[in-house]
Amino acid sequence: MALASILRNASRVQAGALPRFFFKPASVAVNRNFSSSLCPNYATFNKNSNLNLGLFVPHGKILIAPQARMMSGDHSRLWPIEKALSVSLLVLVPAAIASPHFILDNLLAVAAVAHFHWGLEAVVIDYARPIVVGNVLAKLALFLLYIISATTLGGLIYYNVNEDGIGQTIRQFWAIKGSGKEKTADSSGSEKK
Amino acid sequence: MATFFRLGSRQVLNHFLRNEKVGMLSLVRPVTLKAQPACPPKEMGHDERNMKLGRPQSPHLTIYAPQLTSMLSISHRATGMILAGYTIMWGLGAVVLPDSISCYLEDLAAANVSSILLCGTKFMLAFPMTYHFWNGIRHLMWDMGLFLTLKEVYATGYVMLILALGSAIALVSM
Repeated sequence: MALASILRNASRVQAGALPRFFFKPASVAVNRNFSSSLCPNYATFNKNSNLNLGLFVPHGKILIAPQARMMSGDHSRLWPIEKALSVSLLVLVPAAIASPHFILDNLLAVAAVAHFHWGLEAVVIDYARPIVVGNVLAKLALFLLYIISATTLGGLIYYNVNEDGIGQTIRQFWAIKGSGKEKTADSSGSEKK
Repeated sequence: MATFFRLGSRQVLNHFLRNEKVGMLSLVRPVTLKAQPACPPKEMGHDERNMKLGRPQSPHLTIYAPQLTSMLSISHRATGMILAGYTIMWGLGAVVLPDSISCYLEDLAAANVSSILLCGTKFMLAFPMTYHFWNGIRHLMWDMGLFLTLKEVYATGYVMLILALGSAIALVSM
């Protein structure tokens, strides 16, 4: 209660009225340059500041306990790109199969690999958590995912360039007739989903 | 409260008599504020802390009844992983396999496999694709803010299942 009355009426006291040998005031300087990173914000204390009866002002930000996350940076920039990619895949997959073309095949390869990379990244981060599999394996899983995505993209583009292309191959496979179907003689020209 | 006790003591009375400038502050016990940086919160997360305390975890997957919402959601992830697996096998196979993939397809065509087996294989390839495709559209609609009530989630869920199964059968029969 005594402390409360000091703090409440500190502004009303003139400097001369203070018996200096009674107390040493704290020198407090509050750092107002907050960055919006995930690090907790602490006030910094400057010993060389002037006699300052300013109080420690709560800055209104909640101290966030740093979480043990694998990724740094925020996902909000990536999210619209992921959605745009999904929409493009809705068009690319039927198009590349219905009318195979070199450009469509390569667009499909890039879009499909990017799409499954982000999807599998979410899976890895959800399930291969450090508290479950340990720190090393968690990072290793993510690293392996990058390797797999890069390799698959390379393989698919190689296939598009040097062999038949994705669309044509799917049509070729789909056209294979089994031993039970002898009567129909239709070619691989049918389309429509 | 401390002020009242102080007022009753002899020392305070002496101080009053000897001191010319008596402000309100002289009645009060002086306090020194020692400024310290705030203690950072402990970095241990919720799970780790409870593991260290030896607390058991509540059951979740073993007791929660399956619902259309959760089953369709995990199936979306599962079909996505299956399709990713097919794509990865294709990409890796194209580089690793000794012959070109079209050679293998010609061998397969010449092998005269039973049509049931072929249809089965085509279905295994087509259904994850159609499921993921139509459910993907459902997800994109949610992202646009549509069909978010529980009734609509269930309705679109059933529609999606019918479309997925229907389009997969249509593709296999082509």
